[in-house]
Amino acid sequence: MTPPLVTPRGMHRRHFLGHLAATALGIPAAQFFSSLRANAAAGKKAHKSCIVLWMSGGPSHLDIWDLKPDSEKNGGPFRPIATSAPGVSISEHMPNTAKQMHHLNVIRSLDSKEGNHERGTYLMHTGYVPNPTVVHPGWGSSMAFEVGSRMDDFDLPHCVSINTPGQGAGFLGMSYTPFMVQNPNAPIANLAPPADVDELRLDRRLQLLSRVENDFIKQRGAQPAVDHKAVYAKTIRMMNSKYKDIFKLDNEPASVRDAYGKHSFGSGCLLARRLVEQGVTYVEVAMGGWDTHADNFDALSTRLLPELDQGMGALTADLASRGLLDDTLIVWMGEFGRTPRINPNAGRDHWPRSWSVVMGGGGMKSGQAIGATDKDGVDVADRPVGVMDLVATMTKTMGISLDTQYTSPRGRPLKIVDGGTPIPELVG
Amino acid sequence: MLQRDGRTDRRTAPFAWLALAAAAAAGALAPPPARAGDRPAGKPAAPAASAGDANFLDPLLRQAWQDAGLKPAQPARDDEFLRRAYLDILGRTPTVAEARAFLEGRAPDKRARLVEVLLDHVDFPKNFATEWTNLLIGRGRQERNVDRDALTAWLRKQFAAGRPWNEVVYDLVTASGSNKENGAVNYTIAHLEAEAVPLTSRTTRLFLGQQLQCVQCHDHPQNDWKQADFWGVNAFFRGLKVEEKRAVGADGLEKFDHVELSDAPTDAFARFDRRNGMMGVAFPRFIDGRKVEQPDRAVRRVELAKLITDPQSDLLPRAMVNRTWAHFLGRGFVNPVDDIGPHNEAALPEVFDKLTEEFRESGLDVKQLIRWITSSAAYQASSVRPGKQRPEDDLFSVMALRPMTPEQLFDSLLTATAAHRPGSGRDDAKRESWMRQFLFAFGNDEGDEATTFQGTIPQSLMMMNGDLMRDALSGKPGSFLADALDQAARQRRSPAAFMVDQLYLAALSRMPSNAERSASVRYLENNPDALPYLQDLFWALLNSNEFILIH
Repeated sequence: MTPPLVTPRGMHRRHFLGHLAATALGIPAAQFFSSLRANAAAGKKAHKSCIVLWMSGGPSHLDIWDLKPDSEKNGGPFRPIATSAPGVSISEHMPNTAKQMHHLNVIRSLDSKEGNHERGTYLMHTGYVPNPTVVHPGWGSSMAFEVGSRMDDFDLPHCVSINTPGQGAGFLGMSYTPFMVQNPNAPIANLAPPADVDELRLDRRLQLLSRVENDFIKQRGAQPAVDHKAVYAKTIRMMNSKYKDIFKLDNEPASVRDAYGKHSFGSGCLLARRLVEQGVTYVEVAMGGWDTHADNFDALSTRLLPELDQGMGALTADLASRGLLDDTLIVWMGEFGRTPRINPNAGRDHWPRSWSVVMGGGGMKSGQAIGATDKDGVDVADRPVGVMDLVATMTKTMGISLDTQYTSPRGRPLKIVDGGTPIPELVG
Repeated sequence: MLQRDGRTDRRTAPFAWLALAAAAAAGALAPPPARAGDRPAGKPAAPAASAGDANFLDPLLRQAWQDAGLKPAQPARDDEFLRRAYLDILGRTPTVAEARAFLEGRAPDKRARLVEVLLDHVDFPKNFATEWTNLLIGRGRQERNVDRDALTAWLRKQFAAGRPWNEVVYDLVTASGSNKENGAVNYTIAHLEAEAVPLTSRTTRLFLGQQLQCVQCHDHPQNDWKQADFWGVNAFFRGLKVEEKRAVGADGLEKFDHVELSDAPTDAFARFDRRNGMMGVAFPRFIDGRKVEQPDRAVRRVELAKLITDPQSDLLPRAMVNRTWAHFLGRGFVNPVDDIGPHNEAALPEVFDKLTEEFRESGLDVKQLIRWITSSAAYQASSVRPGKQRPEDDLFSVMALRPMTPEQLFDSLLTATAAHRPGSGRDDAKRESWMRQFLFAFGNDEGDEATTFQGTIPQSLMMMNGDLMRDALSGKPGSFLADALDQAARQRRSPAAFMVDQLYLAALSRMPSNAERSASVRYLENNPDALPYLQDLFWALLNSNEFILIH
């Protein structure tokens, strides 16, 4: 079947719109999608990307990255195993990732202070605690904005969230809000227009739309009206993009799909690799089910860790073998860790005070464990790290200036990094 | 169409194409059956003697704007007011007939009359019941033990009957029995997991405007809430008994039928982990420190409901005023709307206080609150900004642009296009299944959820290419487009102009400007592809920012 949106042969898209203007329609050619061009330049990535593996619900860090086999009360049943990073051991249920640890680092001394899902999610995505007077952009949206504003020819969203809505873009506007992929194993819904709407009709629709849209903006001039137009422009670009097949994982060899796993997290990791390969700046892949107030150990060993390990291990190995790892920062985190204390339901509860995150790639040093908790996993024993330190480390790795500052719509200056210091062991 | 001398004038051409287009669309020229939904909503009733008059608000609003050096926006035009009143009160845009009836009306008090009509319209309780169902149990709840429809139906009855808000809340907090018979029961049973932590935080947020969920785990850093405050409220929810009842179904097999909720007297207390690693305990204790005498004998939820609805306290009316103001104006006096307190400064505190006081005096009459808000200078302001001013906070002197909720959008699309009539059934189940594609549940112990709907690429794709839009534009018999074509064919004056007017009224609740009308009429009178052009125009109007934003 011919895709319904192919530009007539030999005709540049803008040229084509110009032709339409001369028809009986009598409406000047719409400047609605004034930045619409035939195709984005393909090829090698010109900037860094980031993939965040988001463990929604709060992952039990003590059973994954910071095992306490010597703690009688808090240790739990899992055993540590050695990894490809000398001196760094992780959970026995993470064998594939263990082979990739020389590419990654564990930070075991994060104190994030927010033990509520919504607030923790906000904090870890933005670097800021929620504040009633301003909605901070997600860090991913800030990166998309920084990189995206330098790339005017890119048909895919700069910021994509898989299996999660992700964090909004706040005052950066709807066009930097993550594009959510609900199910990486299914096609993107409604990506093609109905069969009876050919390119001529689609263009006519857009011209008619642009007239209403622009008049309304002229009268009202308010942000939501401007955002609406920007999102439509982005949507049209995606519909027309030659990259729209990027979302089809069936194009991957069976061996690759099997390596990642076909569960939503594994498929999400594979889609993330495909997206950063094409130049998408920020991809978040979420995995749910981590709010293990009860039956923590069964849930981890039978369901959560096998999926996590398969996806994360395959992704790291794949990025490395394709030479993409130096340009792609990988971060593993959730909204908080879980209590050292094991509750009467064999669960662990919310714990932001001393927990672990993992990051590597993007050109940072690797194979290290940064910081430590005490014997029972309760207090930070060495090298405390704050959320803004993580944000600073990630921002520096992305090649974005730590002094980057925005002005909110209310005239308030807001920094991407506010008071944090990049972790010198990683990005010294 | 014949001129006096019997010759055909040039307007027969459009007549001809419209008839053809209608025939092509409908497969026949038979007139469509009359539609109830096309008539104006009921007979305008005279408002109760200036009962809805918000004169007590306007001097306060004007003073505040003057003090802040703000030039308020012009009063909203009739079509602006019409559209926002329908969307805010009924949850949908007006039909063409409803729009024409109001826009052509000449009565000086026609806006107040319209609000009365809307408050008596069957879609008002439906809309508020939908909104409160979402607030009470979220959008995603589909477990078998929560009967969402029963809760919505119960709420609908309360709003239709105009019951005082304190009574509604009392019933929600204390509801017991079968969740099928008593829909209010579903609020409580939806949030009992994790030791009723979600029920505790929802109850305090929704009814009292207090965010206690942060102090579940630690004392609050910015206000005076302590961990024990959270667990003191939580302890009111001990002693609840939930039983699943089975019944024999039509197929003769016994299966799950409903849930029975009851309160058993208990001496239980809530226990919680303090941050210092110690265990804390809490007996029923309200957020103002009041305790329940003999908690082992009392029905604890009844005691809690009495405290929440205590006429001496203004927390309940204040929370409802803030939320309702936000419903109509886009944001509350205090934001987030459920985080009211000295730590969170209110905009227009005098107006907030006055409205709370009057609402309390009215006996927590929700319809009365709506009359006051909708007749205030803030709600009557245009969304067109005066001049270039961009103040840090415009203090409601200009109407904000707000995106429709998914429910408003769905119902408005059906209203505008009659897409439901060709066999698709306009009902809540349909809307819910449509909604689900945009819904995301975080699956955590707070029951947090989000929609990926408003202003996103998936939403744009759905609006541009989705099934709903495809049906809406199909021109199938009975659809708005087919009806309008049929009516246009019977117009004595320019059918093309009539058709264009209908589309603008259906989608944007306003007449097209002269420029807009003549551009389309010119095209229609000179080209043979009328139906595709009208579909494309309707598509453009329905996809526009002007359609999807409440303004």
